[in-house]
Amino acid sequence: MTLTLARLAALSLVRAPGRAGTRVLVLATAVALLGAMLLFIGHSLRTMTASAVRSVPLDWQGPVSSYAADLRVATEVGRQPGVAEAVPTATAPFASAEHHGSAGTIRAGAGAILAVPPGYLRHIRTFRLLYGSLKPGAIVLDQQLAATLQAQVGDTIALSPRPGVKPRAFRVSGVAALTAGDVLFQPLNPLVGPAPAQPPANVAILPLVTFAHTVAPELGSIPSVGPGATTATGAPRGVQWHVQAQVDPRALTGSPSRALRLESRIRNRVQRSLPGQVQFVDNLADELSTATADSLYAQALFVMLAGPGALIALGLAYLASLGTAERDGRDLALLRARGASRRHLLTLAAIESMLLGVLAGVVGAGASFLAVRLLVRSGGGLDLARVLSTVAVCVLLAIGGALVARVGVTVTVLRGSVVEGRRSTRRAGSPLWQRLHVDGLALAASGLIYWLTARTGFAAVVNPDANPTLSLSVYMFFGPALLWVGATLLLVRARGRALAWLSARFAGRRATTLPAFLLASAGRRGPAINRGLVLVGLLLAYGVSFGVFTATYDQQARVDAQLTLGADVVVSAPSGVGESLQRAIAHAPGVAATSTLEHTYAYVGPDLQDTFGIDPTTLPRATDLRDSFFLGGSATEMLARLRSRPDAILVSKETVTDYALSVGDLLKLRILDRRRGRFRIVPFHVVGVVQEFPSAPKDSFMVANLRYLLAVTHDPGPNVVFVKANGDPVALAGELSRETARAGTTVKNIRQQTAQTVSSITAIGMAGIRQIEGSFVVVLAAAAMALFVAVAVTERRRELATMAAIGASIRDIAGFVWSEAALVLVAAMALASLLGWLLAEMLVAMLRHVFDPPPDHLAAPWGFLGALAGASVLGILFTGVVAVRRMRRLQLGAILREE
Amino acid sequence: MTQPSLQGPLAACKQVTVVYGRGEASVTALAGIDLVIEPEESVALWGRSGSGKTTLLHVLGGLLEPTTGVVEWQGRPLSTLDAVARGRMRAAGIAYVFQSANLLPHFTAFENVAFAARAAGGELDRRLEPLALLELVGLGGKADSLPSELSGGEAQRAAIARALAQRPRLLLCDEPTGHLDTDTGDRILALIEALQREVGFALVIATHDADVAARLGREVELHDGRIVREEVHA
Repeated sequence: MTLTLARLAALSLVRAPGRAGTRVLVLATAVALLGAMLLFIGHSLRTMTASAVRSVPLDWQGPVSSYAADLRVATEVGRQPGVAEAVPTATAPFASAEHHGSAGTIRAGAGAILAVPPGYLRHIRTFRLLYGSLKPGAIVLDQQLAATLQAQVGDTIALSPRPGVKPRAFRVSGVAALTAGDVLFQPLNPLVGPAPAQPPANVAILPLVTFAHTVAPELGSIPSVGPGATTATGAPRGVQWHVQAQVDPRALTGSPSRALRLESRIRNRVQRSLPGQVQFVDNLADELSTATADSLYAQALFVMLAGPGALIALGLAYLASLGTAERDGRDLALLRARGASRRHLLTLAAIESMLLGVLAGVVGAGASFLAVRLLVRSGGGLDLARVLSTVAVCVLLAIGGALVARVGVTVTVLRGSVVEGRRSTRRAGSPLWQRLHVDGLALAASGLIYWLTARTGFAAVVNPDANPTLSLSVYMFFGPALLWVGATLLLVRARGRALAWLSARFAGRRATTLPAFLLASAGRRGPAINRGLVLVGLLLAYGVSFGVFTATYDQQARVDAQLTLGADVVVSAPSGVGESLQRAIAHAPGVAATSTLEHTYAYVGPDLQDTFGIDPTTLPRATDLRDSFFLGGSATEMLARLRSRPDAILVSKETVTDYALSVGDLLKLRILDRRRGRFRIVPFHVVGVVQEFPSAPKDSFMVANLRYLLAVTHDPGPNVVFVKANGDPVALAGELSRETARAGTTVKNIRQQTAQTVSSITAIGMAGIRQIEGSFVVVLAAAAMALFVAVAVTERRRELATMAAIGASIRDIAGFVWSEAALVLVAAMALASLLGWLLAEMLVAMLRHVFDPPPDHLAAPWGFLGALAGASVLGILFTGVVAVRRMRRLQLGAILREE
Repeated sequence: MTQPSLQGPLAACKQVTVVYGRGEASVTALAGIDLVIEPEESVALWGRSGSGKTTLLHVLGGLLEPTTGVVEWQGRPLSTLDAVARGRMRAAGIAYVFQSANLLPHFTAFENVAFAARAAGGELDRRLEPLALLELVGLGGKADSLPSELSGGEAQRAAIARALAQRPRLLLCDEPTGHLDTDTGDRILALIEALQREVGFALVIATHDADVAARLGREVELHDGRIVREEVHA
């Protein structure tokens, strides 16, 4: 029997290829959207893992008790599976450094030594060599220390490990830029975990062997683990022998949480294999934990953004099945009249849904692969396992979708008598959710959640350490989710009653003109029109909310990146080369404007703060300064105040509060005088308060005049150049990097920074989801309107044929189709504008603290919104024209004989 | 109502054949039918189910294009015109009353009649105003009711009022009493006959009921798509 039913199901699909094709296409589109989203989310999670792994300069640091243990343990750890590299290293303090040069003796204060073996930089990137190399018996100076001592490669410096000990002389073999000082010199206590610390002001790098035989004997060792292990931040107090190791990134696959599990397994295995010998401070696990938390928010955000779209797409599949419901119902009723049992009918529906689902699932999966390939820059990282799992998910979803739509018709037939089934469908009373007013409750709950979250300022929890991370309450996402649910149910409940009211009011009681006939008909077809409005309106609302949110997100990501980086392109250079660099850069093609800055540090009382020396005249041309960056005046006013006196300084609000400062007060700072090699007191006058500044950190910092700062520090010149690009910042950065590499520069561009901005949720790439969802929404908008028209024409086939039979012109008959389509489109657009904007406002408000600075207003993606509206209109036009052409060829006799 | 005097027959079928489907699955619904309808006469197309009555009615009214043969309306070929032109000609004088009324479901009885009147175009005779027509068929009090709120008999009377609103010269009725009980059916037939006398249109009724057929001026019996008997009643 099942075989017979299967043959019957296959035959019914083959004999009505149009019906089956439409259902397959709509279902395929819906599952393609879901499939593409699944692929994209998976890809995003893997990207987050890769970014997290890449962003950690040093994965593991395992303190050991001696040089010998360091060498032995490093060798053992390096042999373990999953470990890419393990090296013995050490950190230690030094009391002072001196350089006897042509200008006399220059002395630098206390600092720290990093001792590393040869080949250290192969896998570990805690510093990079600007000049020279690390040679046995020689020393490499951090560029800051080299600048302070005015030492160059080939010079000899004297290093005092501790006060009272005879200095050791080392020949300078290189100059390096330290890139992970906060991690390298953090206190190593595996029981406490990572605690990034303020890096030492002066850093010298020695070969491990040289260090072990010259400096180390003068200093005591810090115990590896236990009560003696230090947790104090700052420069080390003795020799800290430790093994540094990098995990093989190929061993860390999948989402951040999976990668974290894998990484923990590798670390535990390594520690178990060396019992009592080493325990690691796991910097990588720390980063992966943060990425895991971020990935949860990312998934929540993706679900919020993509979920409604996918559900609406499935709604379209339901709409498509409605177009054939009458015929399906008749076919089933006939089967029942010929003796088919309920079980047979349900089996037939299941088999038919299965056949449709398999076909739609495979087509949909194919479309999702194509979409991800075309729209995601990296191609989505497809492999056989992902392809197969996506096909399986798409097929299952399509079968489910087809089954739900088909079961609706089958159940109606089963409920009714044979004759009733052949004639019509009957509607039961109000469903439970209407009696329980779930729609109103959902809307009220959404408003309440929004109000509660707004009242607490959408409180993001900020981690108090130096690298703030954001944490959002997931329940906030219920706000927009419930708004979706409430709005949808309310629309379903309304069932076009508003339209009926409007029709009664404007068409009059007895229509006699064509507009009145059109309005009267639309008013009485309220439920059917409302069904279209629910789907098209919600789809467009989804498109609007999605478009506005992603546009705002992009806008803020750019602002965030600009604020973090400073300008379109930023060239950092060793002190003193900035002026000549600026001159060279200013004349490069593609450069609109430049400005030089000095980035240094100064003490306010005991607090060391980032201090920026700027040129107030050229800076506004080279970067974007917003009024919201300053308190008590606009950006222009603040720069004018800086220009008004040489010793003017802008300080952060925190500094103003902590030190009870006001505008006009004298502020004495301790600043390093590089000529004398020691700190000196320098007077400044507070002229304003600054909250944000390009390239400045999130916490306290100060902004002063470049000339004055250079004069008091005796720095040879600025060390940063801000560049505004005329065209592509990436190309310009590449060009500048090539041109200035010899000067030891680091060149960054705004796009690179946008991709790297690590402020929790904004780290998530939205470009892929925007392209995938945006494209699908535009296609679905056209399909939704086309389906609405097609279903309306199919449902009214007999009615339209009757109109034709009594002599109504094709133009008049088409008027009924066009007017309803126009009505749905206009109402859907109005609904979309309101609901879509509201949803976007809610999402952006919820994530306000993620953006730094928060958005002043929502960004409207007019191009996308225009495409959405255009696609809807095209959908109507195409189907409407096809429908009108078919009306001319309607088989009136056959249609009117149908019972 | 004044009608222009006609020189020839109102409608005519000449060697009309209608075949449904193709190949082996094809069914011949009408085979070489010759039939003439004169102005103001009344004709019954009588026969069993499947004899071709409804198909002949649809061919006469231009709802169906014959496979071969010619259908003429007032001496002009109807079957060779396209759908739009056929629609215009229908609007200018051919009206239908279907077995199941086929009222437009989203219009009230008044609007159904008014819509047909609008489709017919031209100046409206006061007697053919929608409300007057509904009163003529005894539905004055149901003018604002939707089809779903009317009984079967009321719906059929509304369909007759709608047909009259088209100012027909030819009224084609397909089993107009088929879904009605005997009493209601009789009343509907009596109404149609009375209206024909008053308005002066030609009437063709397709029926399987011999009693109904016997009430009309001419009876044409169909069997397997062919005319097998014609009889003029006194």
